[in-house]
Order: sequence, then C-alpha cells, then structure tokens
Amino acid sequence: WAPLPAPALALALLGLAAAAGPRQTPALELAQELAEELWSAGLPGDLPELEPECRSLLAAFAEGSAALTDCLARRARPVRLCQGCHGHYRRLLAQYNSIARAVGNSSESHNCAKSILTSDRLHIVVTLSEFFNETWEAANCANCLKNNSEGLSNSTEEFLDLFNKSLTCFEHNLQGQGIDLSPNNYTEVCKNCNETYMKLNDLYNHLQRLNRQGGESAHSAHLCIDVEDAMNITRKLWSRTFNCSLPCSDTVPVIAVSSFILFLPIVFYLSSFLHSKQKKRILILPKRIQSNANLVNIQEKYS
Amino acid sequence: MANVAKKVSWSGRDRDDDEDGRVGETTPLLNGTGPGAAGSGRQLTPSSFLRIGQLSNVDLNEDIRELETEVPRQRPNEIPHNEKLLSLKYESLDYDNSENQLFLEEERRINHAAFRTVEIKRWVICAMIGILTGLVACFIDIVVENLAGLKYRLVKDNIDKFTAKGGLSFSLLLWATLNASVVMVGSVIVAFIEPVAAGSGIPQIKCYLNGVKIPHVVRLKTLVIKVCGVILSVVGGLAVGKEGPMIHSGSVIAAGISQGRSTSLKRDFKIFEYFRRDTEKRDFVSAGAAAGVSAAFGAPVGGVLFSLEEGASFWNQFLTWRIFFASMISTFTLNSVLSVYHGNAWDLSSPGLINFGRFDSEKMEYTIQEIPIFIFMGVVGGILGALFNALNYWLTMFRIRYIHRPCLQVVEAMLVAAVTATVGFVMIYCSRDCQPLQGSSVAYPLQLFCADGEYNSMATAFFNTPEKSVVNLFHDPPGSYNPMTLGMFTVMYFFLACWTYGLTVSAGVFIPSLLIGAAWGRLFGISLSYLTKSSIWADPGKYALMGAAAQLGGIVRMTLSLTVIMMEATGNVTYGFPIMLVLMTAKIVGDYFVEGLYDMHIQLQSVPFLHWEAPVTSHSLTAREVMSTPVTCLRRIERVGTVVDILSDTSSNHNGFPVVESNPDTTQAGWVPLGRGCSWGGPTRAGCSGDPHTRCLLQVAGLRGLILRSQLIVLLKHKVFVERTNLSLVQRRLKLKDFRDAYPRFPPIQSIHVSQDERECMIDLSEFMNPSPYTVPQEASLPRVFKLFRALGLRHLVVVDNRNEVVGMVTRKDLARYRLGKEGLEELSLAQT
Repeated sequence: WAPLPAPALALALLGLAAAAGPRQTPALELAQELAEELWSAGLPGDLPELEPECRSLLAAFAEGSAALTDCLARRARPVRLCQGCHGHYRRLLAQYNSIARAVGNSSESHNCAKSILTSDRLHIVVTLSEFFNETWEAANCANCLKNNSEGLSNSTEEFLDLFNKSLTCFEHNLQGQGIDLSPNNYTEVCKNCNETYMKLNDLYNHLQRLNRQGGESAHSAHLCIDVEDAMNITRKLWSRTFNCSLPCSDTVPVIAVSSFILFLPIVFYLSSFLHSKQKKRILILPKRIQSNANLVNIQEKYS
Repeated sequence: MANVAKKVSWSGRDRDDDEDGRVGETTPLLNGTGPGAAGSGRQLTPSSFLRIGQLSNVDLNEDIRELETEVPRQRPNEIPHNEKLLSLKYESLDYDNSENQLFLEEERRINHAAFRTVEIKRWVICAMIGILTGLVACFIDIVVENLAGLKYRLVKDNIDKFTAKGGLSFSLLLWATLNASVVMVGSVIVAFIEPVAAGSGIPQIKCYLNGVKIPHVVRLKTLVIKVCGVILSVVGGLAVGKEGPMIHSGSVIAAGISQGRSTSLKRDFKIFEYFRRDTEKRDFVSAGAAAGVSAAFGAPVGGVLFSLEEGASFWNQFLTWRIFFASMISTFTLNSVLSVYHGNAWDLSSPGLINFGRFDSEKMEYTIQEIPIFIFMGVVGGILGALFNALNYWLTMFRIRYIHRPCLQVVEAMLVAAVTATVGFVMIYCSRDCQPLQGSSVAYPLQLFCADGEYNSMATAFFNTPEKSVVNLFHDPPGSYNPMTLGMFTVMYFFLACWTYGLTVSAGVFIPSLLIGAAWGRLFGISLSYLTKSSIWADPGKYALMGAAAQLGGIVRMTLSLTVIMMEATGNVTYGFPIMLVLMTAKIVGDYFVEGLYDMHIQLQSVPFLHWEAPVTSHSLTAREVMSTPVTCLRRIERVGTVVDILSDTSSNHNGFPVVESNPDTTQAGWVPLGRGCSWGGPTRAGCSGDPHTRCLLQVAGLRGLILRSQLIVLLKHKVFVERTNLSLVQRRLKLKDFRDAYPRFPPIQSIHVSQDERECMIDLSEFMNPSPYTVPQEASLPRVFKLFRALGLRHLVVVDNRNEVVGMVTRKDLARYRLGKEGLEELSLAQT
C-alpha cells in the first residue's frame, strides 16, 4: 500500500464494505449505510476494494461475535457459560481462523487476513477475538468440555447431574416445611440431603484433586467456572442458609490435652532449675603485668 | 602512667608463682619497687601498691574485703557462666603468612606460570563452591518441601476426619507427637554428634571470618549434621527457617573443597595443596558464606556484601570479584535445578530458597508521604527486636547454666516442638476467621468449623512452613486476614520464635523474624487503611514487607548487606530506599537498648571477638598493660627436651613462641635460676621470666623470629634435629609441603614420641621461624595495637622494648577482653569452658 493516512484508509474499507453481495446482515447493512453516506459526500470510487469473500468472512465474524456476546451476557448469573456458549465460541473461533488463514484471489495486498486484521490502528477484529479467548480461558471452560470441545465431559455431566439432584432434594424438603422458615427448622434438610450433598462435595473435591495433579500451570488449578459456581451456590445454601456445617465440638478434651502439653515445659524448666547442677566456669589467671589494676586506674581517671 | 604499679604487681606475681603464694606480698614488693620507682616519677604508697597488685588476680567487687583480710590468692575460681568471660577454647587463625626460608624457597622454585595456574585454581574452586552450595540448597529445599507436605497432608486428613466425627484432641496429639519426634531426631544428632551445628551458624561464621578458630566449625561432619538438622527442624514445625544455616553450609563446603581433601573421610585427593593454610582457607570460607547467602535469598550481591560486612579487614578487589563469581554461580545453580524440579526448565524463576514474590503491581508502589510511616515502623521493629533479644538473652543464659546436658537439650527441643504444635492447634481451633478459598493459593487449607468452601485463615499462618507463611502475608489480597488473627499470630509467634532460637537444633532466625514482622506489618497496614479510609496507598502487603524488614533489622542489626538482601529478594530496586531507612531506624533504636542477636550470642559463647575498633576510651592503655607476660621464649637453637616440655605444659597452652638469641655472654649459662637472673636487670626480667625451673631460659634476648606450635610439632615429628642432620640421618630437607600435609589437624604433642636420647639433641629453628614477626613498642596505645592486629589479622604480636628484647606478647584474648560496657571500659576475665 501507499501509506494512506488512517482516516482515508478507514473510509476505503467502509467503501469496500458498501459494495457487498446479496447476503445482507444487519452489520453489513450498517456498513453499507455508512458507505453510502460517504459516497454521497463525493469521495472517489476507485479505491481498492475489499474482496467479496473477505467481506463475507467479516460479516460472518460479526454475526458470530454478536451471538456469543449475547449468550455470555445472558448466562452470566447463575454462571452457565461453558454449558451454553461453547458452540458459539467454537464457531467464532473457526470464523476467526478462516479470516486469519484466508488468502485473497489475486495479489498479496488483497489478502483477507491483512486487510481485515492489520490494516488499521484499531485491529478491532483481533481485539474482539482476543477478548473472547481471554474470557474463555479465565472461565477455564476447556476443563469441563470434551477434548474436541464438543459437549460437556462425562465428569461434568455427572457433577451437574448430582447438583440438580441435590437442588431438587433441597426444594423437596423445604416444601414439606411450609413457608415460615426460621433458621432452626432446617434440620430436616440437613438430615435428608446430607447424602446427596456429601456425594456432590466429594465429587467436587475429587475433580479438583484430579485437576491439580494433571495440570502444572496456575490456570488449570481451577475447575471450569460452571462447576465452581454451582458448587459455591450449593455450599452457601448448605452452610449459610441451612446452617448445616459442623458444630464446634469437643472443646473440653482439646483444652485438657493442650493444657497438659503446655504445662510440660514449666515442669521441665523448674525441675532442671532445681535439680540440675549449675555449670561453673573455672577462671584462669591471666599472665599479665597488671590486670584489673589498669581498669581501676582508668575508672579512677574517668570518674 | 601506671608504670610503677605494673612493675610491682608483676614482680609480686612472679614471687607468688615461685613460692606458691604462701608468702605475703611485702618482700617482692620491696624487691620490685627499686628499679620501677626509680624509673617513674610517680610515687604511690605501699598500701596502694598492695591493693593494685592483688587486684590483678581477682574480681573487683567480690574481693576487696578478702584483700583487706590479707588472704591473697584464696579467691573462688569457679563462677557461674556470665557474659563477661573469654573462653580459652577459642584460638586465632594464622592469617598472617609465615615468611620463613622454606616459603621463600618454594616461591623461588615455583615459576611465574605456576602462579598463574594457582590463580586459575582459585576460580575453579569458587565455581565449585557455588555449584555445590546451590545443590545443597536445592537438596534441603526439595526434601523439606516433600517431608513437610507429607506431614501436613497427614495431619490435615486426620483433622478433617475428626472434625466430622469428633475427637479433635487426637489430631492435636498426633500433630504434637509428629513434631516432637521429628525434632527429637534433629536434636539428637546435633546434641550428641556435633554441637557446633546448633543454631543458625551465622555467629560461628562471623567469628571465623573475624579470625577466631571455632573447633569443628568447618568440618564435613558439621555440614552433614547441619543439613539434616535443618531439614528435621523445619519439618518438625519449629518456628525456624532454613536460610541462616545455608551460610554455614556454604562456608563448610568452601573450606572443604579448597583443601582438596576431607580429614573426616580420610580421603586426600592431592589437589589444591597450595591452599592448605589458614589464609587461603579463610578467603574461600568468605566466598562460601557469600554463596550461602546468595542461595538462601537469591541475593548474590547481598551475599558478597555480607562477607564484606563480616570479614572486611581482609579484603581486596580480586577476592571480591571471585566471591561475587561464587555467589552468582550458586544462585544460578539453585535456580536452574529448582526450575527443572518444578517442571519449567528454562523458566529460572526461583533464585533463592525464599522468594518474596514480585512487588511490582501499582498498589505496591510507595509515595513520599509514606516514608515517615516506614520510619515509624522501623522504630517499632527496633523496639520489638530489642525485646526479642533481651528475652532470648535471659533464656540463653539459663540454658547455658542449667540445660547443658545433651539429654536435657533434646528434651527441651522436643517440648518446644510439641508446644509449638499445640499453640498452633489451639489458635486454629479458637479462630473464627474464615476466608473463601481462592484457587490454590493456600497449600493446606484447613476447613475445621468453617463453612464448606472456606478455610480457616489462622491455619494459613500456622499450618504451613514459615517460608510460605511469609510469602502469603506479603501477597495475599487485602482482606485475607482479619486483624484479630494477625494480632494473635504475631504475639504467639514472637514468643515461640524467641523461645526456639538457641535450642540445640540447626535452625535460622531470619524467617521467623520476617514472619513476625510481616504479621505486624500487615496488621499495621490494615489499621492504616481503616484510619485513613482511603485504600489507595495502603496495600497491606507493602507494609508487611516493611514490617518484616524492620523486625529482622531489629533482631540481627545487619545494615548494608541486609538492605541489599531484602532488595534483591523483592526484586524491586525502588524499595531500596525505604528498606534502608527502616533498617537504619531499627538498628539505631535497637542498639539503644541491647545489642544484636548474633553479637549477643557470640558474647555469651565467650568468644574473643574483635570488633572494628578498640573501645573509644582506651587510649590511655598501652601495650605494656595489655600484653601477656612473661612470654615463653625459645632460643634459635634449642634443646629438644625443652621444646617438648614447653609444648606439653598444659597450664600454658601457647601457640606462638618468640625465638630469641641470647647475648654471647649468657648463652653458656643456659639455665639461670630466676632469683638471680631476674633481679639482674630491669627489662630483662620482663623479657623472659616465669617459672625458673622450666622456662626462664635466657637473659638479654633479642627477638629473632616467631615460631608456631604447629611448626614445632611438625619439626618434632620429622625429628629435624641438628645432630641427625650432621650425621645425615635425615633423608631429605623438610619442605613447606610437610607443614601443609599436617594442616589443619596437627597431632597433639602427646602423640609424638621423643626418646630420652633425643631430648638431648638440639633443634635449629632458624629456617622455620618467621624471621620478621610484627612487633610493637611497649608504649603503643591499645587502639594502635588493636588496629594493627585487626587489620592484618594477626595471631601474635610481640611487644619489644627499645633493645628489641621481648617484653610481652599480645594475642587476641588480650585485646578482646577490653569492652565498652555500661559503666565505661570493662575487662572480661578468662575462663575455662
């Protein structure tokens, strides 16, 4: 390219987008509208064009990202990102890859990757795709998907199954209790759902342990966000709302044993003070003209 | 000024020796007063003479009464241990090279190229020191990590089990017994096999670099015990660190490698023979200490400066450069091996045993208005450090006096371990501070009575190795600890650490100090952000770091090297300034109350340690008053029997003997009874007096040289006698190599057999003695003598009069006994320990 000034370049791109094919999407329509405005402003029409293939790739990417954003936002609370959006994410990844790999038909300058990804200061497509990747990494979704990212892994399915079970158990037991739930009345829940909850908890801990052994880097220390969040919700319900966590028990034996141990050193020091023979040092006479007399002199002098 | 008094007391003592102290002091006084009083203008009354003369033998305050009742020499010579003693156990290193004829010959024989190989060998040795120190550090780190992990997992599983079922007291018992048994093993090996491996080893290395020969301190056995001991005491859950002992380990490695052999293993690799003497060994030991610091903290420059701070009087540019090389190699070795161990081979992310983590986020930056706050923290650190030291002082004194039997020491260590576990358990049990689990930042999360998915925050501090706790305190996000937890933790850990230091286990005080400081520093940071309501510049991690620096500075009182070590450990140069300010303040405030922990322990061990300068008020003391006299001298050609007698005399276990040459008119006299000889001329008596039957050998005796006990022993062993040489019974001439081969463990004189005939032979010392020993005139002031002695690293300094006749001898103990105490200049007494 000739080093075009940045605004001119943007205009050029938009202009090219305007000459889109028949497959029109909202994004492309918008682009076309803008381009038309510019056309009407009397800009020259002989700018280099974005090739139709590239244009369609871009359009597909725009659609994909819109869908993924929508999915992510809708499933933010309670977190169901990985379960719900992995299809969108996979598709978007594929679209991005096809942009990055696609080569235009003619000269190198019309390479799609170059014109879409790197020809302006903003790199908007790259930024967007990076954002999605980072979110996906942070959520650690790969952890609960199958290796080829098609669908949830077996352990995750199992976990979610148990999770649903315990939720139903909670619901079931609470219904029996009626509506006015004072904090003390949860004992039923604690008793009845203990088994399911414990299973769930154990499975979670097991998954966590597996995960920690498998991965070395800091990221994979986490399970995927869906599982973590589900567990958090359950635990909060269990410990905070239902107050089922363990009571502080056996204080008396602990106090007894610890005071016994703490008492031992006192006995030890006292007995060694009373019974051990104090170590004596044997003074040696220094061979000196005059020993402490010097000191006496000095002290006399200074006093 | 006190010439008269001196002379009098001296002659009085002689007479005492002579007549076993039964005679009163009057006769010798009168005898002695003559020349002395004539020489000096000052007149004293006889009674004051008497008093001063007797004072020379006795302790000041106790014995005045005794003196007045005219019972000379009946003072108690057994006293309880106190800090005003110098032990006879410790001797000096021979830093000064003996330039005798053998040395000159060897130098002539070795050509220029050979000296170049010596230089290259030095570098090779330094590289090996670095590598081995790094490897030892890796070994310690890996073993501690695994064993401690095993222990904590075991206890955690147990606690988890019993939390559900009830019966947590069993977990407590399990934890306490585990700790106590591990510590027992660690303590047994130290107490019964190698007591010098106890503690952090920094005081011992400080003494070694200062020029004191601490028995066994750089032996292979010590290294093995030290390494195992450190591992066991850290795994045993004591409030200790593994960093301090690295310095000792590095030094032992250096001393071992540079000698090219191990006397413990009885293996001689026949390499590096040139370095078998104290001078070279000590240089390498300083490199080893630097490599140890460097491996411990990932601070190569800090290591060099540590050696510089502790042994600076024997320093030169090339040595510094070599030491730096050893340090760098050490930290690099540790780094690469640990990286491989952790699975990311080319990452090089763990340069030291303790890694403070990165302090480069924006919240960690400090602003100018925070500097007064840091200084205030320095003051707090100084006060707390002084408190720590004072408590530890009393405890150590008690230990030296009452807990001196090895079994008692082991029991004590076990009790401390059990109590440490108990305190930790009770704190965790009582704490209601639950924090949500965040990823895997907590190594061993203990849930106990917390809600599911949360962990006990007290447990991160207690239920962990101290290194990890420190890093957690620096880097856990704000809000991870509540103030109550931190406060309780600080108080408990302060006392535990104070109680632990000085036990008979190998363990360092660096990490506990850092941990205490980090805890209260974090508390301080949290309260600051409460007070100011603006959390912009009050990240508690930053204050935790400053608190740690302040506490450590308040306890150990190191300055330059500690600043650089902390700076390098944080990896942030901009922290240099506040850390320096904090350490300075902590030192100033702490020194106002009590001295540093290491100096305190050196003093309690009665080591004759020479500080940088002589006490400031000591200019009026002259060499005459400082020196030891009479000196046991040898003639240039001496009878073998005499030498053997002198060496075997246990009451005067001297190591250096001035070689003198008698005047022609008195040579044939040989044995001159003291009574006649010593009243024969003023200065002569001072020159060579003492017990007339064994030692007073000559009268007017010009100093010709100085010979060491070790050299004499080698000579006797090889039977280098004049008669045998004349009969050409000696196959070859003795070379310097023979002396080096015997180094450093010269056989005791008892093991050398000298027959009755041989006793009558003569021995010629002239080519073995150092012909140019350093001397000072009698009038030299103490600071002057001190400076010469300290700067040149001498072992013996001969005091001569204006006719070059030996008057006395200044050794390390003569200088070290003057100390600036609370009431001015104090004098320490010598004691057998």
